[in-house]
Amino acid sequence: MGQNVSDLKREMIALLPRLRRFAQTLTRSAPEADDLVQDACLRALSRASLWDPAQPLDRWLFRITRNLWINEVRKRQVRMGSGHIPAEDSVELVTTETGEARVAARQLQGKIEQLPSDLATTLLVVSVEGYSYAEAAELLDVPVGTVMSRMYRARKTLARKIAETGGGLQ
Amino acid sequence: MTQDSEKLSAFLDGQLSVAETEAIEQHLQSDPELQAELEALMGADQVARDEFDEMIRAPVPLDLARAIQEAPEAEVANAPVAPAAGRSWLAALAVMLALFVGAAGGYWTGQSRAPAVASAPGWLQDIAEYHAIYATQKRHLVEVPASETEHIQTWLSNTVGAAVAVPDLSGQGLEFQGARLLVAAGKPVAQLMYLDEDDRVVALCLIATDTPRAGFAERTIGVFNMVAWGGAGANFVVVGDDDRSDLRAVAEAAATQV
Repeated sequence: MGQNVSDLKREMIALLPRLRRFAQTLTRSAPEADDLVQDACLRALSRASLWDPAQPLDRWLFRITRNLWINEVRKRQVRMGSGHIPAEDSVELVTTETGEARVAARQLQGKIEQLPSDLATTLLVVSVEGYSYAEAAELLDVPVGTVMSRMYRARKTLARKIAETGGGLQ
Repeated sequence: MTQDSEKLSAFLDGQLSVAETEAIEQHLQSDPELQAELEALMGADQVARDEFDEMIRAPVPLDLARAIQEAPEAEVANAPVAPAAGRSWLAALAVMLALFVGAAGGYWTGQSRAPAVASAPGWLQDIAEYHAIYATQKRHLVEVPASETEHIQTWLSNTVGAAVAVPDLSGQGLEFQGARLLVAAGKPVAQLMYLDEDDRVVALCLIATDTPRAGFAERTIGVFNMVAWGGAGANFVVVGDDDRSDLRAVAEAAATQV
């Protein structure tokens, strides 16, 4: 059992770059992303007995990360007086950083950074992390049709920016 | 129109039915506008992948890896205390490499450690962060395995900017496992990993420098011993557990071969 836990920790640490990227895409803030990833990993460790090693660890951690973030967003919405909002809209919440800190902490690069979080997150999990639309829908708690339309809007928006700026990494 | 465009995007993701896929393929053959749109979407994907790739290369903060590594076992249901394997490597290698990088910058004077730390926080941070990831990788100790030694030498020599040779340390009871490339504030560091018969790691690191140090220097940092020396265009350091007394011999053997 102890061996399982230290294996789990090792695998988690190896996944940190991808978990941070996912969290940064969700939160649009490097410090918030690191807090979120840490919370998610500790949460996962506290529930290690629930993890089925036959299931991919990365997907389990993505789900925990995403759920924690949605809870956080909802809490903030309530504190800000906007009450309960649907999960699908909640990821749009702006974070608490000032503009300056925001720039200093920016991790998202160039054009992706300019996409709304829900589009960027969908694009990340489908195009890069290899989720099917159905899997992405389950992770992000939205209908499959929403995943499909987000993928298109994300690409369309990027394509427009590429056409405007001549493309490539800036 | 948007619906067609959404399908074109889903086509790229392989998420359409066979019939829908065939229909799109047919349209594409005869519709230059649709072809152009597909190309634009593919261009967007490429940019997205490039930028997401860029994000994953960002160094992971040491604190984050440490928080996970040190998460109390009590938090883990039904789990007895796990051995803290790798943990000591994590911290001590970070310190070692911090000093090592300081050495590359000419700060390894043997008298003052503070200037090295103060002058190169970026390097230290980077090295520590990469190590937070790699030093715990028992099953993924190396990036390129020993079976590809020739490739390792070419690859690391080209990348680090100094000749990297893999010394045969079998005379010292060390078996070469493979290599990693580390990056410290944009400066590449080659790391060759060896295991002794008890599966303990001994690492040989190399960084290019215009001012290689003279002679051998021995040091104990935390739970590690290390021996540093300079060679042609590079500084080297051998590091291993602090109860090893053979590192000087390992370093001298390596020095004749690098």
